[in-house]
Amino acid sequence: MSSIITVDNLVKIYNPDIRAVDGISFAVDKGEIFGFLGPNGAGKSTAIKVLTTLLKKTSGDVKVKGFDLESDAREIRRIIGYASQEVGVDTDLTGMENIYLQCRFHHIPKDKARIKATELVKMVGLTDAANRRAGTYSGGMKRRLDLATALVSDPEILFLDEPTTGLDPQSRRAIWDYIRELNNKGTTIFLTTQYMEEADQLAHRLCIIDNGKIVAEGEPAKLKAQIGADLIKFRVIGDEDPGVLKNAIDVVSSIVGVKDVRDCSKGGADCVEGVALYSENGSNLVPLIVRALDSAHLEIVNLTLSKPSLDDVFIKFTGKQLRTESVKMPAKVGYRTRRR
Amino acid sequence: MMKLEFPMEISGIFARWVRKLVRRPTNLTFSMIQPLIWFLLFTQAFQAVANIPFFKQYTGTDSYLTFFSAAVIVQTVLSSALQSGLGMVDDVESGYLDKMRVTPVRRASILMGKVFSDGFRIVLQVGIIIILGYVLGVNIATGLPGIGLILVLAMFFGIAWSGISTFVALATKNSESTLVISIMFVFPMLFLSTAVMPKQLLAPWVQTFASYNPVSYVADAVRSLIISGYDWTLIGQAFLMIFVVGVITLSATTAMFRRALAK
Repeated sequence: MSSIITVDNLVKIYNPDIRAVDGISFAVDKGEIFGFLGPNGAGKSTAIKVLTTLLKKTSGDVKVKGFDLESDAREIRRIIGYASQEVGVDTDLTGMENIYLQCRFHHIPKDKARIKATELVKMVGLTDAANRRAGTYSGGMKRRLDLATALVSDPEILFLDEPTTGLDPQSRRAIWDYIRELNNKGTTIFLTTQYMEEADQLAHRLCIIDNGKIVAEGEPAKLKAQIGADLIKFRVIGDEDPGVLKNAIDVVSSIVGVKDVRDCSKGGADCVEGVALYSENGSNLVPLIVRALDSAHLEIVNLTLSKPSLDDVFIKFTGKQLRTESVKMPAKVGYRTRRR
Repeated sequence: MMKLEFPMEISGIFARWVRKLVRRPTNLTFSMIQPLIWFLLFTQAFQAVANIPFFKQYTGTDSYLTFFSAAVIVQTVLSSALQSGLGMVDDVESGYLDKMRVTPVRRASILMGKVFSDGFRIVLQVGIIIILGYVLGVNIATGLPGIGLILVLAMFFGIAWSGISTFVALATKNSESTLVISIMFVFPMLFLSTAVMPKQLLAPWVQTFASYNPVSYVADAVRSLIISGYDWTLIGQAFLMIFVVGVITLSATTAMFRRALAK
């Protein structure tokens, strides 16, 4: 493995005593998309700001392509690109001027800078708006412009802090496409997100971060596999009657491969009524369940099968739902496809 | 190549601020409204000040308008300088400062490009005031070379005084505080100087304060260029004062900039 970023026991304490990042260690491999997934205030932005030399770490050992964060800060800044959550574009300047100015910051000569700027506005689909002031852009356009400005130096590592927060699904998908495209060309990408779907879609590997600590780490598929099982929920006619419900539970419990059969009315994070059970291979089991219940003269009214999601991973490791704050932020509600 | 990077960065940042200034003309006129009102109203309302005994003897002119034009120029510089910190606050708030800081651009370039653009803005505004003065009937004794020298004085004094507002901006990171605190360095400093009244007519304690107030030295030099001619002692003293103020404010600003970044 060739790691391009190594982080060992990184701690960042804000005055007086807020442990924003509380001893995290991880490594990012060259050429991968690495994600930090966690709720607001988990320490994601703080971590990314330390890695991009914007914030001083309190302690720990961090190397970015072998460079030290403090003594080689300028070397690091030459090889990274950063798009912040705040979207740092100058709204008085046009899209083109924003990119062009960023080229100057990277000491790209005039003629090259013009070619680069033209190329980048095209890449992010802003050619038509290139000579309009960024102040007239929509949120999605500003993000795309910001992404373009982060790319002027052909960075080896691109840092994206919540690249799609607050965007509509269409703009989000456009950003995802650019991220994949860049990664295909060999750019290592470090991104933070509070969206499960985003982490699931993009990241090759990810860390789940909560309260400044890494609670789980690995490939999304493997993390989901740690949950281990598909969830099957069903109801039968007359299951308000405890006798009927108990009968149904007994019937399915005898099927091989069925685990943890529960009466939902007795509580649980994922259902409120009927019966819930887990299984390693839910789709093969559904016919067996249907047949068994049928033989016992129990009529199914509703059966659902769901695969484990990163939500479940998050619930498992932190004991809470990721997006509890969604109620307060109506703009962000409703994009994530709930699977359970 | 390496040597060219520094001027390239500064000119890029300078050009950015000039563009922003041109695109938001309100920022250009904002700090000029008060000096303009003064120029148009005070010189009409207080014409009689020139009839005070010894006015001509103290000032070298019998026109309050001519005498007062130096005060308006100095006032323009002071009000314009207090505006300088605002752009910095915007950059902190919008994340643009961070955007610059993750690039190899030198910290010094960020500050210097901004400071030079402040100097440019002040020259532009003082130029407008001088043209207006000419229209109103102010005659500048030293002609075009004198005007050039006034603009140079205004630019350096403006850059030096801008340091106060940029310092406050970086310390508070808040536009309102920056304006409120900076404005204290405009009117008190102006009235406690020789800019609006000949020194001999000021109250004794104000005279004492005025003789230590950098604003007095700049006002006296500008006024001598308008009314009489090249008084190299006054001009020399003014530049010396500007230099002293500049060293203090700009080194404080640089230190505050470093502190603001070293979180």
